[in-house]
Amino acid sequence: MSDPILIAAGLTRELPGDPPVLLVGGADLAIEPGKFTAIVGPSGCGKSSLLYLLGLIDRPTGGQLLLEGRDMTPLSGDERAAIRLEKFGFVFQFHFLLPEFSALENIMLPMRRLGRHTPAEIEARARELLSFMGLAEKAAKSPDRLSGGERQRVAIARALANDPLLVLGDEPTGNLDSANSARVVDLFRQLAHEQGRAVVCVTHDPEIAAVADIRVSMLDGRITEVLRQA
Amino acid sequence: MAGRLGLLLHVAARHLLVRRRQTAVAVSGVAVGVGFFLAVSAMMIGSQRDFVKTLIDAAPHIVISDELRSPAPQPGLREFGKEAAVQLHGYKVRTEVRGIKDWQQILREVDAIPGAIGSPSLSGAVTLRLGGRDEALAVIGIDPGIESRVSTISEKLRSGRLIDLEKVQGGVIIGEDQAQRLGLGMGDIVAATPARGGTRTLRIVGLFKKGQQLGSNAGYMLLREAQSLLGRPFVINRIGVKLPDPYTAEAIAAALERRHAYKAESWQERSSDFLGLLLTRNIIMYSVVSAILLVASFGIYTAVSTSVADKRRDIAIMRSIGFSEGDLQLIFVLEGLALAVAGVVVGWLLGSALLEILGSIKITVQGTTMRVPLDRTTRQYLIAAAASLLAGVVAAWLPARKAARVDPVEILRGAA
Repeated sequence: MSDPILIAAGLTRELPGDPPVLLVGGADLAIEPGKFTAIVGPSGCGKSSLLYLLGLIDRPTGGQLLLEGRDMTPLSGDERAAIRLEKFGFVFQFHFLLPEFSALENIMLPMRRLGRHTPAEIEARARELLSFMGLAEKAAKSPDRLSGGERQRVAIARALANDPLLVLGDEPTGNLDSANSARVVDLFRQLAHEQGRAVVCVTHDPEIAAVADIRVSMLDGRITEVLRQA
Repeated sequence: MAGRLGLLLHVAARHLLVRRRQTAVAVSGVAVGVGFFLAVSAMMIGSQRDFVKTLIDAAPHIVISDELRSPAPQPGLREFGKEAAVQLHGYKVRTEVRGIKDWQQILREVDAIPGAIGSPSLSGAVTLRLGGRDEALAVIGIDPGIESRVSTISEKLRSGRLIDLEKVQGGVIIGEDQAQRLGLGMGDIVAATPARGGTRTLRIVGLFKKGQQLGSNAGYMLLREAQSLLGRPFVINRIGVKLPDPYTAEAIAAALERRHAYKAESWQERSSDFLGLLLTRNIIMYSVVSAILLVASFGIYTAVSTSVADKRRDIAIMRSIGFSEGDLQLIFVLEGLALAVAGVVVGWLLGSALLEILGSIKITVQGTTMRVPLDRTTRQYLIAAAASLLAGVVAAWLPARKAARVDPVEILRGAA
């Protein structure tokens, strides 16, 4: 077992109200690099909410979140955006590509925003990622000219653009047929096992849950079980 | 930093290019505003310039007359002051001699200003009499050589020349209509009687055009001859001053008046009512223009705020990728700015075209062909651009702030 890069301690998210609505309550979780973690549970159990907290998209109302030992809770919105840009990659159920940009341009966006590389390097890396996804010849295509599976693979390529430590998926196969679904699952395992990234997926899909290294079960906003699978 | 701005501009441009119709409407709103501002302001400023030129040139820039705004205190008061404990009996009020006393000194001071010319003159009333008809004439004695450089009277002559006054003994130039009333023509002789008596004969050596603002019964003579006709040798009661820069008139007039006590009236003071009118005109023009630009900025507001509403999902994606709130706000402000810039460019072209059309129109008034007075200065182009850009940014600001505040969690949760 390697050292976790992301640790949630008593992570809590409540929606204000009387009484407040509990989305996530006291979640303790360690996310490890090189492992594929699946968060499972029935609809409305708070697994997506937990993912948004882990991904610094949402702010917890209680508890702590440590990324590489550093507490993320007091950071400003801009600081969290900068960390998301550099260290996180998101894949959602719907592909969520920007419709005005081609597949290649979509993948280039996070790299251009980070601005660490020259435009030529950025384009080269984007093409490389597309080839890795088996979509080299679709570079110039607009998202609405791609199939559902292709779009999701472009979205994964975009998530990988800035070489993130963590890849977070919110039902990434929820909208795909079984063949494409299997392909995406393979990709995610590859990202964890071959590239050493921490991969966290929220899913309904029992197949994903079955192949995950760590399986986190949730019910009513609370983590009920963390299971290491061989 | 430049890379970030370039990226955000790229996103903004893509948004606008996808929504072509919205973009076109917003751009034309600004363009029409800018175009009409240019056309209207060119006409307003052009006509104002012509009008002010007429006001400035109607008479010398400063007229110093022998009047005092407040009469000099009587010698007794001057000697003792109002508070003095003195009682004077049998005090005789002293009659001041009319006329500008130290006029040579004033003239020297005026001529010392580079480019300025002062023209001394004497005016007085005489009666012209011919064949039982009487006409009052306001005689103005001038030095033709100097006066022609100070005022535009020589341009107003129908016949004869100003310089002819020096060649003909008793020569006088009067208005065309007055000459008509007396039945006089060029070279005719007429009797002139001043108030103190002593008739002389004058010869018409020139006629002024009708309808000029000289006063219909003004007549010009040689200064020397006017002084002798009016029985006031060596006296003058008016100095007309022409300045290289008419807009300094007010200050110079005030200085002259302070030093010499004689009333020095600048053209601004003389025509303050007209200048007030111009101010009103300008206020009207700028209000109309502001209204046009306001409407244009509504167009930008609508375009940007529909763009924000349409792009809520994209906003959430970009936020999840790691774009900051500031990035999102800037994207939509840039959209507003880009619409305004495009509008300004098209508006400049539209305005130039309108000015070409207006410039080609000819108007005929009383036989004289005129063009629409236009004043095309880059200043107007810059004002229109600055106002539009400002309006664009302000109009885009509110929806852009809304874009920045979109909560990605809400959108992502809703879509999943």
